[in-house]
Amino acid sequence: MSDEEHHFESKADAGASKTYPQQAGTIRKNGYIVIKNRPCKVVEVSTSKTGKHGHAKCHFVAIDIFTAKKLEDIVPSSHNCDVPHVNRTDYQLIDISEDGFVSLLTDSGDTKDDLKLPTDESLLKQIKDGFAEGKDLVVSVMSAMGEEQICALKDIGPK
Amino acid sequence: MQGFSDGGADLGQLQTTMRNIEVACTSIQMHINPAAAEATILSLSQSPQPYTACRFILENSQVPNARFQAAAAIRDAAIREWSSLSTEERRSLISFCLCFVMQHASSPEGYVLAKVSSVAAQLMKRGWLDFTEAEKETFFYQVNQAILGAHGIDVQFIGVNFLESLVSEFSPSTSSAMGLPREFHEQCRTSLELNYLKMFYCWARDAALSVTNKIIEPNAVIPEVKVCTAALRLMLQILNWEFRNDTTSMKAGIDVFSAGVRHDNGSSKRSECVLVQPGPAWFDVLISSGHVSWLLGLYAALRQKFSREGYWIDCPIAVSARKLIVQLCSLTGTIFPSDNGKMQENHLLQLLSGILQWIDPPDVVSKAIEEGKSESEMLDGCRALLSIATATTPFVFDQLLKAIRPCGTLSLLSTLMCEVVKVLMTNNTDEETWSWEARDILLDTWTILLVPTDGSGGDALLPPEGKHAAANLFSMIVESELKVASASVTNDDGDSDYLQASISAMDERLSSYALIARAAIDVTIPLLTRLFSERFARLHQGRGIIDPTETLEELYSLLLITGHVLADEGEGETPLVPTAIQTHFADIAEAEKHPVVVLSGSIIRFAEQSMDPEVRATVFSPRLMEAVIWFLARWSHTYLMPLEETNCLSNDYQQHQSMNSKKALLSFFGEHNQGQVVLDIIVRISVMTLVSYPGEKDLQGLTCHHLLHTLVRRKTICYQLVSLESWRNLANAFTNEKSLFLLSSANQRSLAQTLVLSASGLRNSETANQYVKGLMAHMTTYLVELSNRSDLKSVAHQPDIIMSVSCLLERLRGAVSAAGPRRQRAMYEIGISVMNPVLHLLEVYKDESAVVYLLLKFIVDWVDGQISYLESRETAAVIDFCMRLLQLYSSHNIGKISISLSSTLLSEAKTEKYKDLRALLQLLSSLCSKDLVDFSSDSVEAAGINISQVVFFGLHIVTPLISLELLKYPKLCHDYFSLLSHILEVYPETLAQLNSEAFVHIIGTLDFGLHHQDLEVVDMCLGALKALAAYNYREICAGKTGLVSAGLGNLPEGIFSRFLRSLLQLLLFEDYSPDLVSAAADALLPLILCEQGLYQKLGNELIERQTNPALKSRLANALHSLTSSNHLSSRLDRVNYQRFRKNLNSFLVEVRGFLRTI
Repeated sequence: MSDEEHHFESKADAGASKTYPQQAGTIRKNGYIVIKNRPCKVVEVSTSKTGKHGHAKCHFVAIDIFTAKKLEDIVPSSHNCDVPHVNRTDYQLIDISEDGFVSLLTDSGDTKDDLKLPTDESLLKQIKDGFAEGKDLVVSVMSAMGEEQICALKDIGPK
Repeated sequence: MQGFSDGGADLGQLQTTMRNIEVACTSIQMHINPAAAEATILSLSQSPQPYTACRFILENSQVPNARFQAAAAIRDAAIREWSSLSTEERRSLISFCLCFVMQHASSPEGYVLAKVSSVAAQLMKRGWLDFTEAEKETFFYQVNQAILGAHGIDVQFIGVNFLESLVSEFSPSTSSAMGLPREFHEQCRTSLELNYLKMFYCWARDAALSVTNKIIEPNAVIPEVKVCTAALRLMLQILNWEFRNDTTSMKAGIDVFSAGVRHDNGSSKRSECVLVQPGPAWFDVLISSGHVSWLLGLYAALRQKFSREGYWIDCPIAVSARKLIVQLCSLTGTIFPSDNGKMQENHLLQLLSGILQWIDPPDVVSKAIEEGKSESEMLDGCRALLSIATATTPFVFDQLLKAIRPCGTLSLLSTLMCEVVKVLMTNNTDEETWSWEARDILLDTWTILLVPTDGSGGDALLPPEGKHAAANLFSMIVESELKVASASVTNDDGDSDYLQASISAMDERLSSYALIARAAIDVTIPLLTRLFSERFARLHQGRGIIDPTETLEELYSLLLITGHVLADEGEGETPLVPTAIQTHFADIAEAEKHPVVVLSGSIIRFAEQSMDPEVRATVFSPRLMEAVIWFLARWSHTYLMPLEETNCLSNDYQQHQSMNSKKALLSFFGEHNQGQVVLDIIVRISVMTLVSYPGEKDLQGLTCHHLLHTLVRRKTICYQLVSLESWRNLANAFTNEKSLFLLSSANQRSLAQTLVLSASGLRNSETANQYVKGLMAHMTTYLVELSNRSDLKSVAHQPDIIMSVSCLLERLRGAVSAAGPRRQRAMYEIGISVMNPVLHLLEVYKDESAVVYLLLKFIVDWVDGQISYLESRETAAVIDFCMRLLQLYSSHNIGKISISLSSTLLSEAKTEKYKDLRALLQLLSSLCSKDLVDFSSDSVEAAGINISQVVFFGLHIVTPLISLELLKYPKLCHDYFSLLSHILEVYPETLAQLNSEAFVHIIGTLDFGLHHQDLEVVDMCLGALKALAAYNYREICAGKTGLVSAGLGNLPEGIFSRFLRSLLQLLLFEDYSPDLVSAAADALLPLILCEQGLYQKLGNELIERQTNPALKSRLANALHSLTSSNHLSSRLDRVNYQRFRKNLNSFLVEVRGFLRTI
């Protein structure tokens, strides 16, 4: 998979690119990286050399930000990696529907109804409990490479 | 719970108890309900006065484990109840234990006997200061009889064993805890050392002597060997004692806690070899009585028997004997009469001639080991050499052997080590073999001999023959290192982790090599030059034809070795040219021919070739370049434009010729000679590594942190740097060149710092400020422009923008960390200009934790560097900004819950939060410091700022974010409590102004901190508590309301009552380190004074709870004397605090024991 090609492909997609090339050596722990076409957060970087007098290479351990799967990659540190464009948007939570979708209020006053709740029980419980208590909840929605998911919620005080 | 106390125990009850304990012990062994079994056993040791039951078990039980537990129970109960036992009871417990071991001496369960023996030893120590001399005499008479062999071999063995336990109990490092103050242990130690230790040694010696003849007889193994081994072990243990009362050798003012000072001190710390200095009283035992010859004779006899059944080189008696011999080699100090060391030399010579057969001739010994002989004797021989070297000067060391051989000890040492290195070379494995260990011991020996003991340089003391030996050894070492290097090329990078771990060990080894090389510097420098030029030539000829990897690795090793030989590390100071190099080469007048100049020059010229892209690609691998950069850094720190260059003329007292050569060497790379040229080369090479080795973090890290940093540390170099074209190019590249934006964050920071620091080479502060502004303009402009963009929200999260922002913030952070008085203005303006952008960015990047952290860290570093210089108006602006920052951060994060499927990401999120909070606490601490350190012309109060209020307000914002969960991070916890205790100590009055919620939170964390396991945290909390209570008490005494009335409406009782309760609870019933008692006393006194009514009530409750009338009255008395003895008054001054500390200590010793029993 060549970096150039991939970059071009994503650019053609939506006008704004989903990923950017960045030198592997500059990607740090807690940064983002694309591994096997998945957006990931880097949890560990180590460098080593190819042979005693070879060049440095980076070993990334990263976690898929949506599925939480662990992925690893080894890249020569002077080469480019893809870095996903990760966006976060805050919405006020209006409603949780029976079929597992949430209704969110956007900045412009419209509603956004196409976001599904997480399937994991404990996460679901955290959101539902908070909502049931009648708190005013703001949810952060993380989006990258065409996927989105709720990544945080925040209580902005009782109604 | 079922207790096992003795009150009127009849036989039936005792048998039941015994059975219960036996069942419990068996079930623990078989893993049947271990918790219940443990509880049963615990209840035995915790019940009051379980002694009859324990004795019964010891005497009657058939289960050895039950006997073991019974002994342990005696120990626990007796230590706890000691103060309430009568003298008679105490004595009978000890003599019971002693009689028990003697009577059962032949029992096969050695561990039970060892336990009972150690219980006797511990109890004896517990009562040591109370027993009269006559009482001790009685015990020791019994022991002495046993050791003399009056009751047979087994009892003799047991007697020696008991003394072993006793000595280890009395030695502070191995003593067991008794809940008593340190002074107690210290007094016991002194008393034993002065009055008994030598006597014990004699007993052990006599026991060994009594069986020696039997052992020497040509029989197979006999039971007496056991006694002799134990006696040798005891003697060794006694000689390992840290003797401190060698009063005659103690010079005035020497710290009594640093035992083992060599006469010419300084070097003893490098080695694990401890000097034995028992003092003149030991002369008759160790020196004049033929002790050494007896011991050597014994070992020689054993050696004869090694081939025979029951004896071998590693059998216990042989090992003990060798260890004792090695230990005797370390004997020094006032035990020898002052006869110019003659007596000590004789003593060492005697030992050395005994040891010689273990190591000499080296080739035969090493061959035998390679063929399967055990190496331990040879290693002990090496250790003996190390001990002798530690106890003597190099000259005496060398002379020792000359008395019996044609060559000196140094030659023997050299041959021995060459032999070891040869073995290392032939079987080059990763396993730690005997040759590794031998090499390390022998290297330590060389280090001890060669490390300069004073300013004059130790090498001058080495005789010519010794120099020759050192030169031989060094060339052998280099040969072996080169061979290892070229062989290591083939094994792949799998061992890189292992290498990382062993780097510090390697560094130590290299500095020992350097010492050896410097001992024969006139031979070794030309040797190194030759080795380098051979390899340069090989690379040159073979370019493109042969694989250069082996040569590269050899060069890598050579560079490391040469770096160590030529220069010292400095450790933060400016290292001088090593004395050996300064004083030798006297016959060389022309600087160009000075061997050091030749060697340095050839390496620098080689390094310069890396500028050629073609050569770089084939020769200068990243790894080789790392060694080059490392070498250049180390070398230039010592030789490039050295400080002494200017003042070496004043050293008239030196010999004229040697001074000439020294001057030539020093000035050759000085600023008026070749210095500038070399500096330019170094700078160009540095820029090249940053630009032409993309992604090589390690190499670039070395360049930034090591080489460039070294350069700007020295003013003379900075003057030159700022005028160099190449340095200006670096500054330009820094602001414009894309490739420098790709450096890793730490390197980014360090480079910015270095460039700013070089401004100190500019003559006045105006140009310096101008220069700094020029460097930084691109960063501030970019950040200001970015934060003003209308589409900031949408572009900010693009990875390329994030990267630029992070990069610039790192640079800013690096730059502000280089703030100094001369550049302060520029830094202040930079900070002010990005204040608003910082707040904007904090808003936009609130979910991008990495950026948030950078923003916070930048502000923390900036404020830290600026705060003490700011005028009051500026301070007000900065404080206002900080508060806005804190509020913004808090509004983003309070009540926020991260949701993720991945537990790793969640814990990462928590770690990030912890780091943020830590940064914020640091920010508050910096603000706090304005009250302490202030260089401004007006005081801050002038602008109406009250620092204490600001900090409390800040803390008020931050504390809700710090959950008890987060306080589990030790560093955060530490920072939080040090800030908290600081402000509570300095501004207790401000606490009253907090609202109740914040107040409750702070008090809650204080309570949490009191029960923390970290000693320092508890200490800080106690300090805070003391300050609060003392403040309150003084206020009340002055007729004011104090803290109680303020803002405390929500609390059911006053804070001081609450803390009085919890502190008493802690002191009386919980576990804590005895070191805390003084701090706790300081907090408790004002608390009691504040809440006298409650204290009375709590005291009465405690007394009421006691059912036993004897204990009741004891407790009442103790409580009474806690507050009344020692003329304790109700004032809070130093004297009174001191008295109360004493009172509390004796109170706790008196009552804690029985209060803690169930």
